[in-house]
Amino acid sequence: MQTNMYLGCNHLSVRFYQHRKKIVDDITLSIHPGEKLLILGPSGCGKSTLISALSGIIPEFLDAEVTGEVVRRERAGVMFQDPDSQFCMLHVDEEIAFSLENRRIPRGKMDEMISDVMDKAGLNIDKRTSIESLSGGMKQRLALACILALDPEVLFFDEPTAQLDPQGRIEIFELLKNLSRQTGQTMVFVEHVLDGCIEWMDRVILLNKDGRMIGSGKPEEVLREFDAEIKEAGIWRPKLFPVKWNDVVENHDHPVSAELTRFIETRSEEHRFVGGNPMIRVEDATIGYGKKAIVQDLNLTIHKGEWISIVGKNGSGKSTFLKSLARLESLRKGKIYFLEKELSKWPDVELYEKAGFVFQNPELQFIADMVFEEIAFGGRQRNWTEEQIQEKTHQLLREFGLEAHRDAHPFTLSLGQKRRLSVATMLLFDQDVLLLDEPTFGQDEKTAKELIKKLKERQAQGTTIIMVTHDMNLVDQCSDKVLLLKNGKAAYYGTPYSLFMNEVLLEDSSLVPPLHYKLVHARKELSLV
Amino acid sequence: MKGNHSWLSSLNPACKLFAHLLVMFMLMAISDFRETLAIWLLAVAIGISIGGWRISYLLKRLLPYFGFFVMIFWMMAAFGKGEETIWSWAWFHVTKESVSHGLTISLRMLGFVTYGLLFTSTTDLTSFIMSLIHQCRLSPKWAYGLLAGFRFIPLFQSELSQMKAAHKIRGYKQKNSWKAFARYSLPLFTQGIRKSERIAIAMEARGFTGSRDRTYYQTTKLAGKDFVYFIGLMVVVFGVWMAGFVL
Repeated sequence: MQTNMYLGCNHLSVRFYQHRKKIVDDITLSIHPGEKLLILGPSGCGKSTLISALSGIIPEFLDAEVTGEVVRRERAGVMFQDPDSQFCMLHVDEEIAFSLENRRIPRGKMDEMISDVMDKAGLNIDKRTSIESLSGGMKQRLALACILALDPEVLFFDEPTAQLDPQGRIEIFELLKNLSRQTGQTMVFVEHVLDGCIEWMDRVILLNKDGRMIGSGKPEEVLREFDAEIKEAGIWRPKLFPVKWNDVVENHDHPVSAELTRFIETRSEEHRFVGGNPMIRVEDATIGYGKKAIVQDLNLTIHKGEWISIVGKNGSGKSTFLKSLARLESLRKGKIYFLEKELSKWPDVELYEKAGFVFQNPELQFIADMVFEEIAFGGRQRNWTEEQIQEKTHQLLREFGLEAHRDAHPFTLSLGQKRRLSVATMLLFDQDVLLLDEPTFGQDEKTAKELIKKLKERQAQGTTIIMVTHDMNLVDQCSDKVLLLKNGKAAYYGTPYSLFMNEVLLEDSSLVPPLHYKLVHARKELSLV
Repeated sequence: MKGNHSWLSSLNPACKLFAHLLVMFMLMAISDFRETLAIWLLAVAIGISIGGWRISYLLKRLLPYFGFFVMIFWMMAAFGKGEETIWSWAWFHVTKESVSHGLTISLRMLGFVTYGLLFTSTTDLTSFIMSLIHQCRLSPKWAYGLLAGFRFIPLFQSELSQMKAAHKIRGYKQKNSWKAFARYSLPLFTQGIRKSERIAIAMEARGFTGSRDRTYYQTTKLAGKDFVYFIGLMVVVFGVWMAGFVL
């Protein structure tokens, strides 16, 4: 083993005691001071375990059988993915001070150090702000400030943006990029979304599902050589990298440029589906929760068989509006008509045979202890015959690829399976409307695509789909209409094409359109110059 | 639990809690309703004068307990035993003794609630925990664990409301509340355990060992005014108690 290794491991294997299989298998890795390393792999491949071993969490705080050698740095900081489960105090300053207290920094020096790391982490807020009131992105900034307060030699990031919306993700990556430029800090990342971080990595390593290292090299090399494996692993591949955006904009003959241009032309000609009879009609509705009104004067009609996307910033009322459509939040004012009958007049039983609602966190909607029973639940409540239940449930298990897991507990499924199950449970009555709250949030590319495919099949059979999402590519590809909520108003309701072509509106609501639209806008700007 | 900017909230939380607990013990020992009333009025007076309470706040917080007050009083007064009948109709039998008992018990309840409220409404949670570390020698391991746990409460609430909504959609009818409790609590517990494991790892990864060998950002100390409040309160309450024996 190299004696002068800065950080790394030599033939490292890790096995958790309750598993028979090694989760990390025979990995040899040497990380140089100042290096930015990105670790990729399918979910469950041991990426997080590798980081835990390198940072010392394993075996110090988590028990596991470790073989091989590990070279660690004495001071390491780790940032985790869940913004809600890495804090233990109530206010921003206390939380940062917690790191300093653990280092036994004298009280007199703390105030200065707290302001210093808050600056570095881009946390321009009052230091007595309560942590609960922060957005996900701000919480991750705070997490960064807390680990910077440890004065670490190495920073580890375990999917730091997995729970953030695209805007928050861009901000965090931008912040880390600047930080790495200023300080030359060594950074080790695990990520499954590559846009925004792969551009400034020095090296990428790829693990397979058995926890073995199958590739290592410069980002563009690994992306090129292991395209199939990366796709299979469900990693959100970069939309442009290694191509540079400026080249695409300036050079009309660039292959990517030509492809995007062709794409936009098909978009402009395409006629979006215009639905059948009105399904949902919203009249002068004001929605909100508690005493606060969030969106006012909503007027719109959703037709049968349409795919509607609802977009807007965090806190713009997207989810609340979606819940109001399923009567899970009551209206402040106005009326909603569901199939030409006032929503509030529908009895529960009938309403939820016609409308299904898929929550953001599938775990909180599971109510049975077997996958089969989970789907059959509604039928049992309605005293269906056994044959009817068997037939319908099996059909749904087949449709969503869950047959093999019919006897499993819903909680033991993988993330993607849980998501599919949560949709399947809402289709037992072949509901006419399916309402989904950020169905692809936190999912990898593969499971997200599978889910969208299933939803498209359902739409083809006449199901109306209404979906809250942050993913603009999804909006562009699938929806017939987009509803944009902004500043308590419906700022736009129409085709995705005209929304994404409207530069002013995009800017005002900080939406980032898909690349082909971005190209059109960039070209326009260029010709003006 | 948040501090307000009153004089009472500037006191040491552990000392304040100890004082209020002692008053509560004395309330338990006092069996005269006039004394109990005086001690309860004292709490209200403290709240308004140095506890930063507004009359509207006081009414809003105590109103539900006035309902209890009336109920407890009526139950004790109308069905209690006693010699000197004041009023009697059908199965109601109000006697002088039962009225006095009813008033004592219901005022005692009100006194407990008001002294408790006096503490919670003027104490910041973090500084309370810190004073448990500094004045009551609580180990940081427990103290910081407790603080981390408090962050779960709002999280639990939002998760519970989402689960209720999900059940409603699926047509789940709540047949008895124990079954419903089991249904909701299992996923909440599993989520809770998972989250607390993650928090524990995050805390340890930031160098937390749970030992007392650390520095503190917030330190709570005992000052002169803490003794003034403590002794003042004791003297007045004890005085009221003793006055009963003399008069």
